[in-house]
Amino acid sequence: VTTTLSVLIVDDDPALLEALPQALRLRMGGVTVETADSAAAALERIAVQDYDAIVTDIKMPGMDGLALLAEIRTRRPDTPTLIITGHGENALVVHALRGGACDFIQKPIDRDYFVGALYRAIRAHTLNRKVKERQLALESCAEELERLVQKLEPQPRAVQGRAES
Amino acid sequence: MLETATEHRQAAVAERGAAVTAEHRLRAHVETLERRLRKRDEQRRAMLHIMGDLSEFNKRLANQRKAMLHVLGDYEQDRRRLARQTERLDSSRRALLHILQDSHQDKLRLEASRKAMIHIMGDLRETTAEMQRRERELRDKQEQLVQAGKLATLGELTTGVAHELNNPLNNIGLFVGNAVDLIELAVTEKGQIVRELDHAMQQVRKATEIISHLRTFGRAAPVSRESISLRQVIERALSLMREQLRLREIEVTVDLGPEEPVVLGNPIQLEQVFINLLTNARDAVAESPRKAVRISASARSGVVEVALADTGHGIPSGLEQRIFDPFFTTKEVGKGTGLGLSITYGIIKEHGGTISVVSPPGAGATFFIHLPLAPTDTKETLP
Repeated sequence: VTTTLSVLIVDDDPALLEALPQALRLRMGGVTVETADSAAAALERIAVQDYDAIVTDIKMPGMDGLALLAEIRTRRPDTPTLIITGHGENALVVHALRGGACDFIQKPIDRDYFVGALYRAIRAHTLNRKVKERQLALESCAEELERLVQKLEPQPRAVQGRAES
Repeated sequence: MLETATEHRQAAVAERGAAVTAEHRLRAHVETLERRLRKRDEQRRAMLHIMGDLSEFNKRLANQRKAMLHVLGDYEQDRRRLARQTERLDSSRRALLHILQDSHQDKLRLEASRKAMIHIMGDLRETTAEMQRRERELRDKQEQLVQAGKLATLGELTTGVAHELNNPLNNIGLFVGNAVDLIELAVTEKGQIVRELDHAMQQVRKATEIISHLRTFGRAAPVSRESISLRQVIERALSLMREQLRLREIEVTVDLGPEEPVVLGNPIQLEQVFINLLTNARDAVAESPRKAVRISASARSGVVEVALADTGHGIPSGLEQRIFDPFFTTKEVGKGTGLGLSITYGIIKEHGGTISVVSPPGAGATFFIHLPLAPTDTKETLP
């Protein structure tokens, strides 16, 4: 990972917003962690910044994690979103995965698992992005080639002539 | 005749002698007669005298008789009066006798009544003892019921409490993990590690509070009375319910006004009242588009009114009174015990208050609780 990663954590528990970012900072060198204590605050942050990953709790007063996930999917479709769920909330997990979450983390949070999942998500995202970039590059290359081919096509003799000369 | 004359002569001589004797005899006779006459005369005169006396006497007697008649008349009148009085007396006597008889009978009846009364008193004493025993039994049962209700409430709370405990436990894990990481990374600055551990400690305290609160709530504590802030009671009830309400996205507002209402009561029991009402509100708003519970209070002339309003489906009309009956529930089988509101009712009544519900169609239910405020001079905890 070349550039510094930026992650947004959304939860309404201030203690968790204290503990989880610190865990990430310790475990993932050079990560920038921002926090939001509600879905509304998270949407404000998303509007101004493109994060490498977003981690959100499901159960929050007001707008919940699932609604936030849907919003993220429309505003930042590429940003991988992870969902924190309580133990045994399988129905919600399924719901979240169908809604486009790339992974889920169960409470109590296992840090190794969490960091692993986050890395996986970010790597997948980065790879995705790279794939897209490459694809774009390839597409532009292909276009270039196409253009070249079109440019060359009307004067085959000249080429031949040049080749003869 | 001559013969007769000789004879007469002879006779005359004889006669002469005879005549002389006869004369003597006559004379004597006359004398006797005269004497007798005189005597008779004397007697007559005496008689006359006597007659005069008699007449006098008779006159006197007549007078006396007249007087006597008067006296007799008076006497007769007296006698008649007396007779009347006697009659009256007699009837009085008879009446008295009747009265005496009646009173005697009354006395007998009274005596019988007294005896019956003693029996009744004995029975009454027995009944009272029995009543007291029953009452004690009832009180015991009621306490058991309250305890059962509390445990039922606790049971319902468990899911919420699991969540409630899950958060601090999760945070503790993260904070301690961070501290371990810092030590493993050989961070020399102790402050950072201590901060992580302090955070963990705070979360431990939070979890402990929840546990001890549950324990206090579940314990069968003797029912003591103390001055307690209503705000504190409601806060404590909310602290047990908060996670459940939060998870269901139920908005709770508490507005107890500027003054702090203080009531005399048992904090645990009053807390149970609010837990029960909040549990009902929680279930009532489950399907509502807007899920909100509002608790407000206002104190006026020694009484505080607490209103707990929800935006739920309300109470079907006609059931407003029945909902306080034991074992009455509108929840599905297995969802509610039907004890919550009846226990709530009992607790409020024990605290000298009232509870009622208003549920206009389509506007949710509002429970009103009226409780007497604690006297201001006994703000200190009472024994």
